[in-house]
Amino acid sequence: METFALLLQGMATSFELLNLGLLIFGCLIGLFVGAMPGLGSVNGVAILIPITFIVPPTAAIIFLAAVYYGAMYGGAISSVMLGIPGASTAVATVFDGRPLAVKGEAMTALTAAAVGSFVGGTVSVILFTLFAPPLAEVALRFNAPETFALMVMAFATFVGLGGDDIPKTIFSILIGLVLSTIGLDLITGKPRLIFFGIPGFLHGINFLVLAIGIYGIGEMLWTLEETKGKVQMSKLSVNMKEVGRAFSALKKTIMAMNIGSFLGFFVGILPAAGATPASLMSYGITKQLSRNSKEFGSGVPAGVVAPECANNSASTGSMLPMLTLGIPGSPTTAILLGGMILWGLTPGPLLFTQQPEFVWGLIGSLYIANFFTLVLNIALIPAFLMVLRIPFAILAPVIFVLCVTGGYAPTQSLHDVWLMLLFGFGGYMLRKLDYPVAPAVLSIVLGPLAEKAMRQSLILSDGSMGIFFDFSSKPIAAVIMYIAIVLLIMPAFGPIYRKFFKKA
Amino acid sequence: MLIIILNLIGGNNMTIIKKLALVVVSLSLVAVSSISSAKPFSPKKPIELIIPAGQGGGADEIARLVQGVIEKNDYASKPVIPINKKGGSGGEAMTYVKKKAGDEHTLIITLNNVLTTPVNQPELGIDFFNDFTPLARLITDTFLVWIATEGKNTQGVETFDDFIALARGNGLVMGGTGSMSEDELLLGMMRGQFGFDAKYVPYDGGGAVAKGLVGGESDFTLNNPSEQMGFYQSGDSKALVMMTPERNPAFPDVPSSYELGYPDLEYYMMRAFMAPAGVDAEVEKYYTGLLHTVYHDDEFQTFNIDDGKLMSWLEGYGFKRIS
Repeated sequence: METFALLLQGMATSFELLNLGLLIFGCLIGLFVGAMPGLGSVNGVAILIPITFIVPPTAAIIFLAAVYYGAMYGGAISSVMLGIPGASTAVATVFDGRPLAVKGEAMTALTAAAVGSFVGGTVSVILFTLFAPPLAEVALRFNAPETFALMVMAFATFVGLGGDDIPKTIFSILIGLVLSTIGLDLITGKPRLIFFGIPGFLHGINFLVLAIGIYGIGEMLWTLEETKGKVQMSKLSVNMKEVGRAFSALKKTIMAMNIGSFLGFFVGILPAAGATPASLMSYGITKQLSRNSKEFGSGVPAGVVAPECANNSASTGSMLPMLTLGIPGSPTTAILLGGMILWGLTPGPLLFTQQPEFVWGLIGSLYIANFFTLVLNIALIPAFLMVLRIPFAILAPVIFVLCVTGGYAPTQSLHDVWLMLLFGFGGYMLRKLDYPVAPAVLSIVLGPLAEKAMRQSLILSDGSMGIFFDFSSKPIAAVIMYIAIVLLIMPAFGPIYRKFFKKA
Repeated sequence: MLIIILNLIGGNNMTIIKKLALVVVSLSLVAVSSISSAKPFSPKKPIELIIPAGQGGGADEIARLVQGVIEKNDYASKPVIPINKKGGSGGEAMTYVKKKAGDEHTLIITLNNVLTTPVNQPELGIDFFNDFTPLARLITDTFLVWIATEGKNTQGVETFDDFIALARGNGLVMGGTGSMSEDELLLGMMRGQFGFDAKYVPYDGGGAVAKGLVGGESDFTLNNPSEQMGFYQSGDSKALVMMTPERNPAFPDVPSSYELGYPDLEYYMMRAFMAPAGVDAEVEKYYTGLLHTVYHDDEFQTFNIDDGKLMSWLEGYGFKRIS
């Protein structure tokens, strides 16, 4: 049980006074950074890197990992309370978190998010502890064809996401895909779909711009129309009965927790994917496999648990390729990687043997950080709920300001603010026409990943699609691809199945 | 100011000498006023450091190292924030910096793709000579030919000559950093020189390229030393030749191309920094000075030398001429 001894040692490191203080401080900063639209974990960690030079490397990584972690929790807060995704990783949390809050069950949504995050984070750090070296090997074998197969699977799960109206869902996916191709061609670097020659389109459509527009602005317009500005949510008492109700709602989310934790971790360890695709895929698959999948989107706790579980799980997972291969699994870990180089550590296959104190200190701290963020979150829920006491007439302008700053921050161009408003209006119209918007959001995240993986694969295979279906040379890709096809045709055959077998 | 001088010269009731005197006086006035009005520049907000490549590659590593050295020693009054804009072989980053003309808080680290991409993608409208203000070159990076130690298609390859023989007509796959970036040009060079028949698959930067090699997706790569360092040290990848005249102390067992009798196979990558076009001379001076301080930092020197890079400071006229 050498691993176990090392882990205990790592945990002990986290309890040293300096480390523990930094850990709690990091969790708090992370919560804030995650909850503010436009400030995500990437910015948070980037801004804080300089602080870490005054402390030893182990304390530094513990601090930054806590910020990363806290941000995964924090993103859920504004998603639920305001309907604006606080960070890209929390977009899927809006799908069901916001409807829950509107129904007066914000308490349940926030509890589900906090507990989901805790479960996802804990499961993934256990997986990390036990299987780091073999999982690094998996990450290494997961190349372009495998990535593309996984993306197809994600899309397949989302065909079922928009309810029974499959043509409308496909339409929404295609809109997202078209938007995702704007900018520079990923393989040749040629500009494409630069509308009216506006240079702002060269950097493509930032995913957060679309998500904040559709959810933040769209939701605001929707609420204004529905309520004529008079809405004020009731049922805000926080008492033990409410808390009990919130926790009992979680009993039905065991499946979502499993899917979120394991899928999130797996997607997280694949280089270049990260927590955002993980949370979206986890939502889609949970919905697809759930017995009451039709209720997803109207406010079910499982719809909050699945993405929240997955984004925490993926954020831990993405540290694995960073530590073992020196390749960041997400934009935030890329910045952590830069930090490690400066602290004098060489990430790579030898890190575990050469710097056990650092690696195990980090892993140990993740267990502790999980626990503290859960406690902080649950304790702060009453404070978060205060937001709902604010009359909508005051809240709406605040939301609007947050949306504009959130749209501006990632690329710092006004072009994106206009686009965000345009998407807000477009999203609102789509909802009026009863088109699902979530699939469009998914495709703009996964579209570029899928396109790149597909084109790399096709270069490898000289243009033959067979590379995705060949069990002998690419078994992983083929298995995932066939599962994806089954998932894809399931919703199409669902109605037929019902028609023929229910009558009989 | 110049117009005033020209008008003065234009007056015809003055003698030549008076005119000349006036010109001298007014020119010196211009000089004095420009000196007195130019306060030494110091950044007023965080400095954006644009990286025209993905995370984990060679440019990314240097950029983050420079950031770290600056932050750690407080060389600058404001933080440096590295931002990766990896799209289109650097096209996205260059378009961005071009748009920031006159911005005093934006820098870009260059790969050679700042030279190749504008030529390969004329539709981007990047004019290398007018859209940037070159500051200084810090490092020259080298290239090596890498294969995976357990590569399924490169079994039995021990030397570069073994590899040349194998790469003729066996359809090997090379992983690279992006279409038309240096490693694809280098591959083109080797196709011509050795008759290589190899496919080029573009990835997101050198880090992903290195992983693709060890993961068995590609058969060889032309990575910089630092990109493969982790795998080299763990024995997962090995280098066959370094494209330089001499061996590098960081890779004592890897022969140089000159040693093997291929002096044509010599190629470098400059790691330099540029500001957008249209910044004041004071701004240029400030950043060049900042980079110079970083260059002479002990930690910066040690790190790069251990990593197999060549330290090659070049600023001002010399750098502008080559760039």
